[in-house]
Amino acid sequence: MRRALLLCVFGLSLAAFGNPRPAWDTADTGNKGSYSIGVFNPLRLAFTDRLELQAHPLFFFVAPHLDARFAILKNPVENGEPPTGVRLTAEAGLLMPTLGMRLMKGFFFPTWATSTNDVGFMLIPRVGLLVSGNFFTHDVATFRIEGRMRIPIGPNSATPLNSFLAPLEIVMAAPLTGFLGRAGASYDHAFGDTFRLRGEVNVYLTGQQGNLVAGGINQGVIAEINPFIVTAHLNLDIAVFKHSRIAVGVLWANYDQGASEVRTGADGFSERVRVRSNNILPTLDFIWSGF
Amino acid sequence: MRRLLLLVFLAATGCEWIADPQNFTREDIPRFKAKAEHPAPIENPTQLKVMAWNVKYGACRVDFWFDFWGDRVQLSTAEVNDCLTKIAALIKEYDPDILLTEEIEVGSKRSAYVDMVQFLLENTNLRYAAYDETWDARYVPSEGVGRIQLGNAIFSRYPIVKAERIRQEDRTDQDVLTKTFYIKRAIGRAEIEVGNDRRVAAMVVHTEAYDFDGTKQKQIKQIFDVLKAEQLPWVIGGDWNELPPVCDEKAEPTSAEGCEGKLRLSGFLDERASSKGTEYEQPPYTPSVMKPYYDDFEPSLPLARYGVGDAAQRPFFTHTVLGPDGVNDEGTPGWWNRTLDYLFVRKGEVWSNTDVLQEPGRLGITGDPSRLSDHAPVVGTWSLP
Repeated sequence: MRRALLLCVFGLSLAAFGNPRPAWDTADTGNKGSYSIGVFNPLRLAFTDRLELQAHPLFFFVAPHLDARFAILKNPVENGEPPTGVRLTAEAGLLMPTLGMRLMKGFFFPTWATSTNDVGFMLIPRVGLLVSGNFFTHDVATFRIEGRMRIPIGPNSATPLNSFLAPLEIVMAAPLTGFLGRAGASYDHAFGDTFRLRGEVNVYLTGQQGNLVAGGINQGVIAEINPFIVTAHLNLDIAVFKHSRIAVGVLWANYDQGASEVRTGADGFSERVRVRSNNILPTLDFIWSGF
Repeated sequence: MRRLLLLVFLAATGCEWIADPQNFTREDIPRFKAKAEHPAPIENPTQLKVMAWNVKYGACRVDFWFDFWGDRVQLSTAEVNDCLTKIAALIKEYDPDILLTEEIEVGSKRSAYVDMVQFLLENTNLRYAAYDETWDARYVPSEGVGRIQLGNAIFSRYPIVKAERIRQEDRTDQDVLTKTFYIKRAIGRAEIEVGNDRRVAAMVVHTEAYDFDGTKQKQIKQIFDVLKAEQLPWVIGGDWNELPPVCDEKAEPTSAEGCEGKLRLSGFLDERASSKGTEYEQPPYTPSVMKPYYDDFEPSLPLARYGVGDAAQRPFFTHTVLGPDGVNDEGTPGWWNRTLDYLFVRKGEVWSNTDVLQEPGRLGITGDPSRLSDHAPVVGTWSLP
């Protein structure tokens, strides 16, 4: 504990106090050679001043994927200087989640011990568009839309999880429902050179639950789940070392997990009504950057 | 610190238990009523028709992975609605005054989140219900089971004026994680107003099926004690997961009290070899634990009628994992092969028209119970004391 505190103080003392850290998860792309990586945030490498490639090292080997980010509108800017003007960036990527999903068999998916049912092979292409603009020099507002869909490669028996974690539902939406759409907005405010406060809201639209196929036979439609997921994220960035930051926050998510609650009337009799579920989750990351 | 951790955990899951530990000893449970108009029952009845049925969460004869005859984990909405429609039709055919159900679900992923209590209220002549939840997990991370809300329910044509559940013992032979997400057991109890200021108590039970630590036997003993202490006229029904006390399993098999030739204790036609050594292996039956019930209460099917040996007992078997459309590894078609479900009232009270509804024709029914659940309904008419 003592060591951690010392490291933190040491890190803060090394923080660069020329400009605040740039806002992250915006339309901004780095200049050639710049990079960033977090524990949960992706590894992002700029190959030119307009093109970045990104992937999550944690998941890459069980769910191979790669995303490209291309700056359509970008004013030239020196490393470490705040970006200017309106930035527009297009994103495109491809994911093959089957191996990772198969590792979840027995827990989130059936083992299918007595049949040939299995998680099928599939590709998940993704496209997105982000637009960012500055307010008060260092504050950044970002709007984004994004879409993912499933391209099946052979039969698939996996059905939606309807799990207790909305972020897991979001990650698995395209592989399991065939579609995930996202519209979101964020505002990132700099408090001096050391802190940034970021608020973000997203609305996700998943595909339908689909049909239940067992033993190669279509058994009918899986029970309906409301396809909208809403999230809000509040995050505090603390600048440490030369270019890095610690990100701590809280995520709220609201979604349909099939929950119901009993409401009792004046006559003493009750009624069961369907309700949406909530998650309130802490978020924590260390994002290491450089040019 | 514990409280802080609990608060953090509840906050993370949006204040909903990820798996309800059901920390109660005895508590009131919700009562429900039908929205649809149903015919009024006879005023001030002198007898009540009672039915006890484990309805297998509306899956009919779909084999789930723990049955070892299939590997389904989930049903489509159409499958559940179709099955429940047939179950409701059979209930309506027999037309009980009191229905005691086990394995009824109100919001489980595997049964398409259908509220089966309300479904049966709307689609039978039963007007009131009390739901005794025994398994409430926001997500069971095993085989993709997901959300589970399962329990027992008591339905009645007469008003249910009070309902409660009495907690039963948990298994002690499971690790903490399994235990957290595992089914709990409780006795459901409802007080029913049958006219002239007369109240009766109806109870429903479903004891443990897979324990190797004596939990089921403790639960059966607890139910016995609860019945002994009951003040109102009572009827109890359910799935005891135990064989009738035709013999003493502890005695030398060939002795006068022994079970050989009198009652099959193992090697049932629906047991699959692949279940051995798994958490769904059938533990040894201990029918002697049911003896106090037959000594001190009035069973709907007395042992004298039940008979001795497979052939005599066959018409009263109530359970088979393997349905009539499947065959076992030896090529034998599935059929009822043991008795696990019972109805009892207080000693000296009278049963009439009792039976096990195994197939069409029994007590005039046309529905086929062998295709509606892995348990057959046990029925009888109880003459009110």
